[in-house]
Amino acid sequence: MSEIIGIWIGAFFTIGIYSFLYKENPLYRLSEHLVVGISTGFTIAITYSQVLKPKLIEPIATGEQGAWLLLIPAILGILYITRFFPSVAWLSRYPMAFLMGAGMGIGFPLSMKAQVLRQLEASLIPLYEAGMSWEIVLGNVVMVLGTLAALIYFFFSKPHKGPFFGTGSKIGIWVIMVGFGATFGFTVMGRISLLIGRIQFLLGDWLHIIK
Amino acid sequence: MSIWEKMLNVDRRWIFLLIGIACVVPFFTPLGLPILPSAEVLGIFDYMEDLGPDNAIFVGFDFDPGTAAENMPMGVAVLRHAFARNIPVFVTAYTPLGQGMAAMAVEELTNASSDDYFMYVNWEDWASIRDQGIIDRAGIEEAWTAEGNTLPENARGWVFEGRDIAMLGYLPYFHLVILGMSSSIASQFPTDIGGTPIEEMPMYQEHKNLREIDLAVTNAGSSACVAWITYGREKIGLPIAFGVTAVMATDYFIYMQSGQTVGQMGGLRGAAEYEVLLNENGYNKGYGKAFVGMDVQNIAHLLIIFLVILGNIAFFAGGFNKKTKLKGRR
Repeated sequence: MSEIIGIWIGAFFTIGIYSFLYKENPLYRLSEHLVVGISTGFTIAITYSQVLKPKLIEPIATGEQGAWLLLIPAILGILYITRFFPSVAWLSRYPMAFLMGAGMGIGFPLSMKAQVLRQLEASLIPLYEAGMSWEIVLGNVVMVLGTLAALIYFFFSKPHKGPFFGTGSKIGIWVIMVGFGATFGFTVMGRISLLIGRIQFLLGDWLHIIK
Repeated sequence: MSIWEKMLNVDRRWIFLLIGIACVVPFFTPLGLPILPSAEVLGIFDYMEDLGPDNAIFVGFDFDPGTAAENMPMGVAVLRHAFARNIPVFVTAYTPLGQGMAAMAVEELTNASSDDYFMYVNWEDWASIRDQGIIDRAGIEEAWTAEGNTLPENARGWVFEGRDIAMLGYLPYFHLVILGMSSSIASQFPTDIGGTPIEEMPMYQEHKNLREIDLAVTNAGSSACVAWITYGREKIGLPIAFGVTAVMATDYFIYMQSGQTVGQMGGLRGAAEYEVLLNENGYNKGYGKAFVGMDVQNIAHLLIIFLVILGNIAFFAGGFNKKTKLKGRR
């Protein structure tokens, strides 16, 4: 029974959200606000039950060995709330500074490796090697020249004129446009997929018209 | 107002209506257009084919309900593959709502009303077998059936909680959780979401940290992919596979090209390709929701292409490329 009620509520608010396509209306507003509110409430409940309770409150309450150390991150976390009180809002900078420092220290070397050095390495490929098929050679040439042309487009210290910077930046903008086109195509697919998901829910789970 | 201008100023609600019709009608008249698996999806499938009960994988439900239409079929397909091959699966979530998504995926695969479902055996239900010291997968199933448990006709196999699956759930700052799990999974998740101690689970006893894990598949509608690549792949060399939304797909192809991932499922299409592979290889008699949705997707795309062409014809035929702006409302 609870499942059926859930499906009916889901169907009601799905229609509520899509009613915006006709025009803005109170049902859409209600649905939108409920999504935000319920998501936040769910997040708070999950965070309390899976993080705060087992990892902070229970160890301190049961006097677990070394649990007093947990008070340090707990106090740092509480300092975030001081942002709501202008006279002591400056205290919230401490947890932020800690997070930024720790985040940079932990993340920077690995991020550089994963997202910069590895990508550079992947761009340094031979244009031609014995035994390569013509499709691979063409792909390698397009990738290397396309990368260089796109980088030239974003090089602003020289005017985009002449055979190198002028032509290079023109090819670069075309390469970027092709990238945007591919992203747009995928975006259309993504948005239609979300609509398909809702239609499958309405026609299948709710109305049982389709399997 | 010329015909071209009228075309460009058409009330957008007519277009919404057309798209709506295009997305409903194909459900009733399936076209069955073929879906050919791409190299990116084959990469994940083939990798999974080499794994078995002695290996273990992570499957991340790293998305919210907003992208569930795309990410959920991917997660369900990978879980089905893992269950069918008895590969132990640690299930995690990058977001709080992702934990609910993971539970829904397991529910879908273990729902007795569907064909090819898996019989879920709760942790407590097979305690007597553990008490006998039997923890290997084949031995557990043998002992379980020897106790008089039989697999229903429309079921495909058993899923033993703690041996085949551990629902670890959500933790915040997941990149730090990944780092922590490279030393010990139990240090980050002492219990599963039901409160069962991880250290008691046979699958944990054989795979105590990420270095002993063979693959992490992140089904993401967020930056979870980057976290897994940065802290899992680059730190300890953990093989990673992506299941990403279509919007994200182009951003993440670079990790395929650089060899940092074993494969990628992009959007509903990627999920449908995986479902086709499952069907062709006998893991599922039918198909999942993604495959069914692809017929609809194709028709909707054809309509959008037609409208884009029509709009461009009106734009150029009306000479609007020579004017600064269109008349009328836009």
